[in-house]
Amino acid sequence: MAILELHDVSKHFGDKSVLNGLDFSVPEGSIFGFVGENGVGKTTTMKMILGLETIYSGSILIDEKQVHYGDSIANKVVGYLPDVPEYYGYMTPIEYLTLCGRITGMDSGLLKTRINEMLKTVDLPIDKHRIHGFSRGMKQRLGIAQALLNEPKLLICDEPTSALDPIGRSEFLNLLASLRGKTTIVFSTHILTDVERIADRVGILHDGVLKANDSLANLKQQFAKPQIVLTFASKDDATQAGIVLGNNIQIADKKVILNYTGKFETVAEVILSSLLKEHLIPTSMNGQDTTLEDIFMEVTTS
Amino acid sequence: MNNANIVMDNLPLFIPLILLEVGLDLAALIHIFRHKNYRYGNRILWVLLTLFINPIGAILYFVIGRETY
Amino acid sequence: MISTWYFIRKEVMEAWRNYHILMITIVFVIFGISSPLFAKLTPEILKMASGSGMTIKMPDPTSVDSWQQYFKNIIQIGIYVLTVIFSSTISNEISRGTLVNLVAKGLPRYAIVLSKYIVAYAQWCLAVLIAFLISWGYTLYYFPDSKSPNVWTGVWPLLVFGLMFVAVTVFGSTLGKSNYLGFLASVIVFIILTLLNLFKDIKKYNPIALVTDNMSLVKGTENISHIMPAIWITIVLALVTVYLSVLVLKQKKL
Repeated sequence: MAILELHDVSKHFGDKSVLNGLDFSVPEGSIFGFVGENGVGKTTTMKMILGLETIYSGSILIDEKQVHYGDSIANKVVGYLPDVPEYYGYMTPIEYLTLCGRITGMDSGLLKTRINEMLKTVDLPIDKHRIHGFSRGMKQRLGIAQALLNEPKLLICDEPTSALDPIGRSEFLNLLASLRGKTTIVFSTHILTDVERIADRVGILHDGVLKANDSLANLKQQFAKPQIVLTFASKDDATQAGIVLGNNIQIADKKVILNYTGKFETVAEVILSSLLKEHLIPTSMNGQDTTLEDIFMEVTTS
Repeated sequence: MNNANIVMDNLPLFIPLILLEVGLDLAALIHIFRHKNYRYGNRILWVLLTLFINPIGAILYFVIGRETY
Repeated sequence: MISTWYFIRKEVMEAWRNYHILMITIVFVIFGISSPLFAKLTPEILKMASGSGMTIKMPDPTSVDSWQQYFKNIIQIGIYVLTVIFSSTISNEISRGTLVNLVAKGLPRYAIVLSKYIVAYAQWCLAVLIAFLISWGYTLYYFPDSKSPNVWTGVWPLLVFGLMFVAVTVFGSTLGKSNYLGFLASVIVFIILTLLNLFKDIKKYNPIALVTDNMSLVKGTENISHIMPAIWITIVLALVTVYLSVLVLKQKKL
C-alpha cells in the first residue's frame, strides 16, 4: 500500500515552472531516496507534501488523505527534518520537544517518556543546556528527535546529510536505516552514495518530472552498462590492446575500458585469450558494476 | 535652595531611580564585554551609547543590540 | 485553539529569557518614578535657569503636573520603546525559519498571530500599569491635593489604545523579513491618526483621542462619554488589524 501518492502535481514560481505533472507513490515501509540536481524542485516537492507550499495543480495524498496548503490534519502523521533546522536558542531540548509534542497533540505522560527515549536515541544530553550552544551536528540530531517524536508513519528529510561531517553522516544514515520497516522514509539528497547505502527505492527528479522511480536493483538492470577495465604497464601496451580488442572500447592513458553485455566470465575469457595471443598482459582487470551515478547521468542527460 | 538640597528633599525619588539606572548600565556593560558579536553595531558604539545616553542606550542594547537566538 | 495556548506559553518564555519583560519593567519603573520627580523639579530648574538675582513667582507643582509628566512619558517615549521591542516578533521568526518546523507539525498560523498579539499586549498592559502604580504612590505622597480626581479614567484609555497599536505593530511584522516594519507601521499609523485630527468632524471618532484627552479626563473637565465613540472605533480597528495579520501570514512563505 502506498503511504504517499502524488498525482500529476505541478508548480511554478512566476513564469518559471518547477514541476510539470509530478506523479509517483511511495509504498509503506520503504526508504525512498529522492535524487536530483540542486534547484530542481526537491525541497519544493517536500514542502508541498507538508502543506507548507501551495499546490498549483494535481493532488497529494498521505495515508489516503488529501493534503491542503496550511492544513494540519495530514501533518500529524508526518515527521519533517528540514535541511538546516532552526530552533529557539533560549530553550533546552526538552522544552523544545515538549512544545513540538504538544502541538502534535501528544498525551503529556507519554510525551515525557518519549522525549527521554528520543534524546537517548540521538545521543543528546538530558540536562539544562540551551540549544544556542549546540553544534551543527547536535542540531541535526535534535532535528531527528523532533521529527520522530510522535512516531510518524512518514518521515521526510530534506538533504539531511549535506551539513554533516563524514562521521556524523555515517551515524545519521545508520539511524535512518534502523527505522526500516517501522517508518516510511523519504529523503532527498544529491549525494548518491547515501542513497545506494540505505534506500530501497530511488526517484530521480529531472525537468519537473520523475525520470526514474524503481528499486535500485531494477534500475541497475534497466540501465545496466557493465564495463571491464584493463590496466596495462605502459601506454603503448594499452594502445595495442585497443587495436586487438576492436571497436567497443575507450582508451584512457594506461587503461582500456570495454562495454559489454552478457556474462562477465564469458566475455573475460574471450578478452584474455585474444590478449594472450598477442602477448599483452594486463596488470589488472576489473569488472565494474553499474553505479547509481551512471544511472543518474544516463537519466538526466538523455 | 541649592542642588544638594534638592536631592536631599527628594531622596525617595532619587535613590530608586539612580539604583535602577546604574544597575541597568552595569548589566549592559557586563553583557557587552562578555559577548563578541552583536546583532547591530560594535562594542565601542554600545559602550558609548550605554554610558552617555541614559537609560535609553542600555535599553537599546538589550532590545536590538544584543545577539538573539 | 489549544495550540494557541501552547504557543502563548512559548511566547512568554521567549519574552522572559530574552530579557524583554525585565527591560520593560525597568524602563517603566523609571518612567513611573521620574513623572512625579520631574513635576517637583521643574520649578526649581526654571528658577536656576532664570538667574540668581531675579525672583519669579512660580506656582507650586500639583498632582496635575505629576500626571501630565506621566502621560508625556508614556505617550511620547513609552509606546515607542514597546513597539521597538515588539517590532520583530514575527519577522524575526520568518527570516530565521523557526516556524517551519512547528507549522509542519500542525501549528495553525492564526495561533501564531493570536499568541504573539496576546503576549505583546499583556506586556503593554504590564508597562502602562507598572508606571501608573508607581506614579500613583509617589503622587499621593508628594501632592496630596484633590486636583486629579479621576486618575484611572485617564489611564485606562491607554490600555484600549494598546489593543490597536500592538495590533498594528504585529501586522507590520508579518509583512516582511525586516525587523523594522512593525515599528514603521506603528509610527505611520500614529502620524496618520494625528493628521486626521485636523478635521474637526472626525475628532470624536479618532482613536488618537485615547492618548490626547487623558489630562482632561483626569482633571474631570471632560467626561469619558466624550471619547466613547473613539474607544469603540479603536477596538474594531484592533480586531480588523489582527484578522488582516492572520490573512497575511497565511500567504507567507515560511
